Amino acid sequence: MATGRNTNNYLLKTKGLTKVFGSLVANSDIDMVVKQSSIHAILGENGAGKSTLMKMLYGVYAPDGGTIMMDDQEVELHPPTKARAKGIGMVFQDFRVVPALTILDNIALSVEKGFSFNRKKLKKRIIEISTKYGLAVDPEAYVWQLDLGQRQRLEIVKVLLAEGTKIIIFDEPTSVLVPQEVEAFLNMLKMLREDGYGILLITHKINEVLAVADQVSVLRSGVLTYSASKEDGLTADELIAAMMGNKELKTVMKDTNNIFSETSLQIKSGTIKGDYGEIVIQDIDFTVKKGQIVGIAGISGSGQRELAEVLFGLRKLMKGSIELKGQACKPDVRAFLEAGVSFVSEDPIKESVIPGFSILEHMILDGMPMKKKAMGIDWKMLAQELQLSKEANSLALADGQRHADTLSGGNVQRMVLTRALIRTPEVLIISYPSRGLDIGTTRTIQQHLVELSQQGTAIVLFSEDLDELFKLSDELVVLSGKRISQPYETATTDASQIGQLMLKGEST
Amino acid sequence: MSIAATITKDNKSFLARNQSWMIQSAAIIAPFIVFGIFLTFYEVNPIELYWSMVQTTFGNLYGFGEVLLKATPFILTGLAAALPAKAGLVNVGGEGQLAIGALFATWFAVFYLDTMPAMIGIPIMLLAGACGGAVWAGLVAVLKVKGKLNETITSVLLNYVAVFIVGFFVHGMLKDPNSFNWPFSPEIANTLRLPIINNTRLHVGFMIAIVLAIIVWFVLSKTRLGFKIRVLGSNRLAAERAGFQINKMYFWVLIAAGALAGIAGMIEIAGIEGRLRASVGTNFGYLGFLAAMMAWNHPLRLMASAFLLGMISVAGNKLEIFSGLPSSSVNILMALVLFFILGSGKLVKK
Repeated sequence: MATGRNTNNYLLKTKGLTKVFGSLVANSDIDMVVKQSSIHAILGENGAGKSTLMKMLYGVYAPDGGTIMMDDQEVELHPPTKARAKGIGMVFQDFRVVPALTILDNIALSVEKGFSFNRKKLKKRIIEISTKYGLAVDPEAYVWQLDLGQRQRLEIVKVLLAEGTKIIIFDEPTSVLVPQEVEAFLNMLKMLREDGYGILLITHKINEVLAVADQVSVLRSGVLTYSASKEDGLTADELIAAMMGNKELKTVMKDTNNIFSETSLQIKSGTIKGDYGEIVIQDIDFTVKKGQIVGIAGISGSGQRELAEVLFGLRKLMKGSIELKGQACKPDVRAFLEAGVSFVSEDPIKESVIPGFSILEHMILDGMPMKKKAMGIDWKMLAQELQLSKEANSLALADGQRHADTLSGGNVQRMVLTRALIRTPEVLIISYPSRGLDIGTTRTIQQHLVELSQQGTAIVLFSEDLDELFKLSDELVVLSGKRISQPYETATTDASQIGQLMLKGEST
Repeated sequence: MSIAATITKDNKSFLARNQSWMIQSAAIIAPFIVFGIFLTFYEVNPIELYWSMVQTTFGNLYGFGEVLLKATPFILTGLAAALPAKAGLVNVGGEGQLAIGALFATWFAVFYLDTMPAMIGIPIMLLAGACGGAVWAGLVAVLKVKGKLNETITSVLLNYVAVFIVGFFVHGMLKDPNSFNWPFSPEIANTLRLPIINNTRLHVGFMIAIVLAIIVWFVLSKTRLGFKIRVLGSNRLAAERAGFQINKMYFWVLIAAGALAGIAGMIEIAGIEGRLRASVGTNFGYLGFLAAMMAWNHPLRLMASAFLLGMISVAGNKLEIFSGLPSSSVNILMALVLFFILGSGKLVKK
């Protein structure tokens, strides 16, 4: 602990904070304290409710229950303008910036009030702040020219320049950073702590928590399951246990001694570019065989989405080649679909849901064959088939007539999973299958995946849930530092080994 | 109604669905109220004017014919906006596509079809018009698909080019030698004029527009192709992931839209004007776009909104006689309609 800090001086306190979305309790009865000069890490798996909690503190959501106290007074933080006026700043994962403007103008947009502003003065302040915290930014540079790390620095400067900022919320800040930047970032966090800011750090990277956090709160399924401070002695095992709960790490209903021979899908020395033209994955070899489940582990943003898109023909390989059953394949979704490849994207709400279309109508897109009826589609027949289908029933798919854009995240997930399974694909590229699903449905979908592989489907499974990866995969590979690790046999590997690889990559 | 709407009863409450319907109706009615206030300032009784609009329209066959006549090009250029809109495209190029369609149609009529009987000549002229519009939309399509250029911008800009191209021809190769140097084409042969319904000026072009609107509706809501187009228009990413050939679809939808607007150009020539002027169909493209927006891009409702715009256009003349206000003051009404439609669009989405 640094000296002279008044750790009893709290900046913000929540009591019984609760948020409900429909039938989902996203946050239940959360008590926590943000202290001055302290880094408070919020840990949790995907969908544990971290973001919801932070969005309540930043005023995006109004809580459904409980209170938030600041300076011994109950405060209302919704909408965000109120939260900002109270000194709460947030650095988002997706940056809220205007690419066509310079850094200076972007900052002016958020911090300057009134009709005119003094460019010189603001520029000076930007340079002051950025040199103080080692946030190298050029105020005159245009935002579209910046890489993600630089954009993040801009966001941080913006928050720091806002008047009266006391608490800064970082939403998974290191997911956009390269390893060298991470260290600098953590140092900056420490400097902010020295200067009295209260920092909330949302993350699921345990080593970062261990490196900088003074306090840790762990969320699981919307409930605060663990909280401790540095003095109590934090250990990685304890935190993992708190995040994962008592879920068993065993392989259910799965043969482990399968031998796979027939190659289904293969990437040979592939290099993949990201959305901004940056290289995301470099020179990798990857193979999945008939009937095999290959799990892909890695911290989020390690190139999972890009790799998945390449495996479905959505994204071009910058270098290298991709082969389906030994045949070179052009990046064309149609060809991949015809070859029996199915795809469940990591963001089905954005990429799969068609506003105003029913579940049934979604089913015939890359799922059930389009039943023809004269020039149209035989919807009645399709509705009957869907009703009778094993997949739809076991996944408790919502009524086929319902509009997909009215469904909750979990129901959307059920829909895209049903669609992928109903086709019995030869190759299935599936990202985060259990995201947003309750434990029961998660089990069901996992069982389906295992059965599918037994029928000969090659499955590439992207997941952040190590438990799931171990339960389902025959082989695990780890994405880290633009590389992919060698395949590890699930049966002879343990979670900590994979965890190490996720964080540090394969040692060379 | 599309399949999506008829076979699906979503869980939205009855009230919520009616609310959106009410907002839409209010958006149609409100501009008339605002324009009425404007008229009172100029000492024109809006109720009298609106009543006389209704009377002219429904009072006698001639007036009704006039409104339908005005509505005809709006239906077609409206389709040229509505169909691409369903695929997620914004085609503001109906104006230029109509002009080039009229040019092609006149060219064929003047140089190749003047001795043909109507049964052969008119269909060929129609095809020529459709080709002209398609060629012009084809430019937008190629720029979109190959050049990744935004179709909204290119289609608007090409409107200006189209007008000048028509001007070039009517001042040059297509100029009527007997016109005393006026810039217009020779008159097309009488056999090529569209047959007219007795006691009106209404020609069969109106029937063509209605039939095409029904075809577009049928394709969009009842066929597999239409289903795919709507998927593409509602979520491009989903269409991509379903393996649709998006560029190909964009291309052909734009071509079809251009052909529809081109047919409107042919109908203007063969149905009304009889010869090509540089001013052919001025504003019809934009008004069609407006009609499409008023109909929320629904081909059948488009017929109603085009009819309403037809009524407003005819009322322009009425207004001049009535009040001494210039007939172009109905443009204010049109603009108000557009404003309210755009504004209510936001409300309905929420």
